[in-house]
Amino acid sequence: MTSPEDMAAQEITILLVEDDPPTLWRLQDALVKAGFDVATAATLGEARTSLAARVPRVLLTDLQLPDGHGVELIRETRQRHPDTEIMVISALGDEETVISAITVGATGYILKDAFPSDIAATVHDLVAGHSPISASIARFIVRRTQAQAEPAGPELNTAKLTPREIDILWGIAKGFSYAEIADNLGMSRQTVPGHIKSIYRKLEVHTRGEAVFEAVQQGLIKL
Amino acid sequence: MRGGAARPALRARKTASRLVQYLLLQAVIAALCILVLRHPLPEPPSRTLLTSFSLSDRGEVRSVTLPGFVPARTSMSDPAVFTGRFHWDARDAGHAWSVYLPRFTNGVIVSVNGAEILDSRRDPAANRSDRATPEIAIIPTPLLRDGDNELVVRLLVWGPISGFLDKVYVGADADLRPFYEQRTLWFVTLPTMFAAWQGILAMILAVIWATRRGEASYGALAAAMTLGAIQAFVLTTIDEPAHPRLNATLLASAPLESACLLAFAILFFVRKWPRRLGPLIFLPGLIMVLIGLFGGPPAIRQAFLVLGMPTLVVHLLLLGLIVGRSEMRRRDVPSLLLGCGVTIVLTSLLHDVLAVAGFIADDRVFFTRLSYSAMLVAIGAGLTFRFAQALNRVDGFAAHLVIQLRKAEEKLKASFAREQERERAAALARERARLMRDLHDGLGGQLVSIVALSERGSAAGIGEAARAALKDLRLVIDSMDDIGGDLMLALASWRDRAAAQLRPHEIALDWHAALPGLPVYPELRPWHVIQIIRILDEAVTNAVKHAGAKYISVSIESRPCEGGERGCITVSDDGKGFAVDGDGRQTSRGLRNMKNRAARCGAELELSSGTGGTTVRLQLPHRFPEGDAVTG
Repeated sequence: MTSPEDMAAQEITILLVEDDPPTLWRLQDALVKAGFDVATAATLGEARTSLAARVPRVLLTDLQLPDGHGVELIRETRQRHPDTEIMVISALGDEETVISAITVGATGYILKDAFPSDIAATVHDLVAGHSPISASIARFIVRRTQAQAEPAGPELNTAKLTPREIDILWGIAKGFSYAEIADNLGMSRQTVPGHIKSIYRKLEVHTRGEAVFEAVQQGLIKL
Repeated sequence: MRGGAARPALRARKTASRLVQYLLLQAVIAALCILVLRHPLPEPPSRTLLTSFSLSDRGEVRSVTLPGFVPARTSMSDPAVFTGRFHWDARDAGHAWSVYLPRFTNGVIVSVNGAEILDSRRDPAANRSDRATPEIAIIPTPLLRDGDNELVVRLLVWGPISGFLDKVYVGADADLRPFYEQRTLWFVTLPTMFAAWQGILAMILAVIWATRRGEASYGALAAAMTLGAIQAFVLTTIDEPAHPRLNATLLASAPLESACLLAFAILFFVRKWPRRLGPLIFLPGLIMVLIGLFGGPPAIRQAFLVLGMPTLVVHLLLLGLIVGRSEMRRRDVPSLLLGCGVTIVLTSLLHDVLAVAGFIADDRVFFTRLSYSAMLVAIGAGLTFRFAQALNRVDGFAAHLVIQLRKAEEKLKASFAREQERERAAALARERARLMRDLHDGLGGQLVSIVALSERGSAAGIGEAARAALKDLRLVIDSMDDIGGDLMLALASWRDRAAAQLRPHEIALDWHAALPGLPVYPELRPWHVIQIIRILDEAVTNAVKHAGAKYISVSIESRPCEGGERGCITVSDDGKGFAVDGDGRQTSRGLRNMKNRAARCGAELELSSGTGGTTVRLQLPHRFPEGDAVTG
């Protein structure tokens, strides 16, 4: 956590999209106090304008916006600016919101009521390449890998996950630390964040064409 | 009243009409029978007929024209000797010549030109007076002389009826043999076939009776059929039978057989055995057996004529009555068939008796035994009909059962679906009640606090209460997820939330989860999870708020104990502790709540507190209780 902080936080540009003013203020305050360069938007339209003007290093967005859905914004940003890290802002951190954001390219979430220090730390970690994943989201993903029947909840394709990645998710879901997971699986603990990043990328459905290709590959669609 | 009176009258008229129909049918059958019986049997060409004989009987010589009778006698040593002549031309030497005797009683020895060519006593079938066995013998050509030849027929008679010699034919074997074969078919082969049929019936009935002991009627019928079959196959060599008395008795077993048949009819059609009169029907048969065993062959033959025949007539009449009555009442096929059979046998028996008694022309061809075959056919057909009917009934019953079963199944399915629906509704209602209670316990209270605080204008506690409300909301939502009984999954989510809560206070949350973690509880329900998490929340909150702890450690482990593994969650802090007896009201209420929650989950809560810190140990149960047992 120390090295990214040394790397001047001002250089890290953030676009914050949130339609509820008090929440927006709160998050903006926390990020500005931590030294980030924060641009804000209250609607999808404003966000697009802002994106066109300047491509941020990090995009933090709410999903329910007055003129559209945050998922659209995440998908567009992911396609046009692959280097931008994206996180979703969620009130409850429920899987419905978070998983649908992950499948279009978001990496984790920030709770709207998180403490300012936590918010800043999370963004720092994200920029440093550490993708946070909560126990409940890990639980949702691993349970989805086991489900036989059509499960409830958002669509999620877990077919590309390797057994090792699923083992790591199990460890997180059960509350074990990265160190414990790494020891248990006989791997270096430094490699765990990389695996998590890889999990995020594998859960992402990039484009429509790619989705069709994957579906054919996995036998979901027969030509 | 009029209807009531009309009904019995109608029934009586119906019965009467039925009776007339039945009697008419029997009369037609009897008439047909007589027609058949009186129909003359085909005879060989008249050129082969030899009628003029001289009869030498008991020293007396007279000329006779065949057919002829000689008086009955008891000894075989003095046969009646019929001597006749026939013409043979040496030009006929190319064809075999035969002597053909269509009918005689009881035995014949035939000689041509002094040489014996036939002794009928060696043919067991010919020795039975109940079968009209014909005999034929080829005359060896060297015996024959051109011109006149002498034919001598010695007629052996062994009573009780008089001796009889039908017309005698001598001629080309080709002319005579077809007539011989025809008679043999009728009077030897057919009875043998029917006897075999009777034997099979006996076996089938015996098997039926053996497997259905309750039905004595089949036993009686089996006995009758067995007796009949034995009687038909018993060897009747006249010379030296091994047991002459037993042989003779068996030959005269007809009254016993008819008694068994009658017993069957009584049991089968009347279904009530007359205890006093019933055994009487066996009496004549038994008397005959005694006479046969102690009196010898001549005596039994005499007894058969005097006692046996009338018994047979009486039995047949009784049988006819029983069967007719059953037909009147039930109108079923077995009664009708057996009734016709009785009529045929009775007609034949009367015909035979009348012939022997001399009332009608007597050619000594007895039809009783042969006509008995009709009865056997009737019995077989009737039984088969009954059997088929029973099968139909079984099929019908099975089909009925299948329908009933399907109906019951459908009903069951419907009631099961109803039950399931009710169960689902009940589960939904339970879940709603739980959710309401959970929200009321946590979120509701906290929101009320927020309202109260905001009304007082003090912003200080609002943030804390709102955070608690959010935390509780997340807990309630999280607990609804199906975690498959793995409490570790719920604890891990809680860890994330607790760590976030503790971070601003700069309190480290040390987490020890000893592999392989907690046992899986298949019976774990969301409300158990909520209670456990709230206990842990309370412990952490106490450590932060009241004990001023800087370090909180949570350790999760499974401890082996009697009856398997038991999960144990320990929360300890380095705070200043508190007196368990309760120094502050807030703390003591919190502790009471924790204990209550633990008790509701069947868990044990241990608290130890001192200056070095507080340790809360939650010992999970072997099995989580199903219902929310404690009132709290």
